[in-house]
Amino acid sequence: MTDAIEVENLTKIYGQGQRGVTPVLAVDHINFAVREGEIFGFLGPNGAGKTTTQRMLTTLLEPTEGRIIIQGHDLARDAYAVKRQMGLVPEESNVYTELSAWDNLMFTAQLYRVPRAERAKRIQELLEIFGLWEKRDVKVENFSKGMRRRLSIAMAIIHRPALLFLDEPSPGLDVQSVHAIRDLIRQLNAEGTTIFLTTHQIEEANQLCNRVAIINQGRIAAIDSPEQLRATFQRMQSVEIALQPDSRVLGEDLAKLVGVTTTVKMGDKWRLYTEDPSALLPQVIDYARVNGLKIISLSTLGPSLEDVFLALTGQPVGAVRYEMQEGKTQRGGVKGQMGGGQ
Amino acid sequence: MNHKWLQRLQDEISQAWVVTVKDIKVHYLRPGVIMFGFLMPFFMFFSFSVRREMAAAQGVARLLALTTFFTASALGPFIIPLERRVGTYDRLLAAPMSLFTLLLGKIVVGTLFGIAVSAVSLIIGVTIFRASVTQPGLLTAGIALSSLSFSALGLVFGSIPTRNPGDVQMPSTLLRWALLFISGVFIPLQEMTPAARAVAYFSPLTYTQDAMNHAVLGTGLLNPWLDLGIILASSILFLIPSLWMHQQARKQGY
Repeated sequence: MTDAIEVENLTKIYGQGQRGVTPVLAVDHINFAVREGEIFGFLGPNGAGKTTTQRMLTTLLEPTEGRIIIQGHDLARDAYAVKRQMGLVPEESNVYTELSAWDNLMFTAQLYRVPRAERAKRIQELLEIFGLWEKRDVKVENFSKGMRRRLSIAMAIIHRPALLFLDEPSPGLDVQSVHAIRDLIRQLNAEGTTIFLTTHQIEEANQLCNRVAIINQGRIAAIDSPEQLRATFQRMQSVEIALQPDSRVLGEDLAKLVGVTTTVKMGDKWRLYTEDPSALLPQVIDYARVNGLKIISLSTLGPSLEDVFLALTGQPVGAVRYEMQEGKTQRGGVKGQMGGGQ
Repeated sequence: MNHKWLQRLQDEISQAWVVTVKDIKVHYLRPGVIMFGFLMPFFMFFSFSVRREMAAAQGVARLLALTTFFTASALGPFIIPLERRVGTYDRLLAAPMSLFTLLLGKIVVGTLFGIAVSAVSLIIGVTIFRASVTQPGLLTAGIALSSLSFSALGLVFGSIPTRNPGDVQMPSTLLRWALLFISGVFIPLQEMTPAARAVAYFSPLTYTQDAMNHAVLGTGLLNPWLDLGIILASSILFLIPSLWMHQQARKQGY
């Protein structure tokens, strides 16, 4: 399988050589490759270097150092050939709100030199696929966020690009829009489009991507398929339990059970991280019996991609979404074990 | 090989025009801008002519130079920072066209606006103030090339690496007013001291005013061909800092 994108030693230092500006290293000599026809997720916390990397790949930002090869073309020497083959959906839906959906698409079709005879047919096709046909003559300023997002994606693929860059495609959208957009991404990929997906939504990457790269502090922390990454982090298995009455459950008691590394309160449930769930299960059942608590649900869980992400980015488990049990947040020895590069 | 280059050239010209048409629809066909276009010539004329002893033709020559100058350079400084702020400029930068083509499209739209508003000024001058045009060809060429030059001047400020239109307002206003005062619009070149005239020769507006004087009054200080040549050269010259600042912006992440 050939590579759609090859990145070698890519580096970006903002402010280098500017008087009175302290240089900031945003991307630090990263290497990776995206295979033809895959959905490649680029994950990382805010400020990790995701958008900077994507802007360099899409010619919007000049790298300080390194080499980018896209579809066999060196971006520094032959950006024109690359631009003809790529589509870009930036984080903010950059559509022209003063124009109608039809005019936005017509403008993009003309800009990308879609043959005149095909333009109207292609625009109608996209408007129908994206559920915007009925609103084709409505000014985009009257569109919802989800509709703008769909239009933005339609504009990015009007010239049938071989490579599509998507930056945070779904934040802030309702559930229906999120599902619709994810289905569209899968469909585009099934039709042969390579997709570079920048996101900090781990579940989105988990559902869509063949492989993910996790970037943290400008460096690639890991690259692999979501399943492989999870398999590497078996130590981060957990037991999830819901007990009644919940008010009588003490997190510090659960944390004292043998083998528990981290305790996280998740709504009306507790998640107990452990390397050996089978050894922990009898203890949890005993705890419930001794304290007169009713077990509502009990399950064992493998490590989620989110757990892997948190481990690799040096954040404590539960730091992002979950209420943390105070004084019990250590997560020993996981950072740095995946290595960088390809 | 030649065929490829010709196709590319044709594509780039078409893309520049697509950018122009888009800018007209998005930024220029707004009620405020259209009103500005119609009212600007009146305000210009009354601001600089009332209670001054000058012939109508002299006033019209000045009016044409001023409206061309102020309108062609009016929106150029603000459109790119505004588009950078809302993210639509990335769409243009990522499109398969050269930076020169993109900037050309932006310059043409300002040029067309300058020509359109100058036409309004001309109609006012001819119908209301009974001015006559002695050299229509020179007038047309002068307005068209001056609009091109002043639109390119506006783009220099629009190319400053920023997402805040407010950042370009002060420098663009300051420079345009400075040019206004040194350019022989208020004080004819013939009446200037040698030092002041030497300074005036650095401003493209000087040559626009001189060309308008030739076209409307039938007299001017410089050769009209020289006027047109320098105005055209200034258009090309203004592109250089715009291209350079865009390259800097690409390094800085704007």
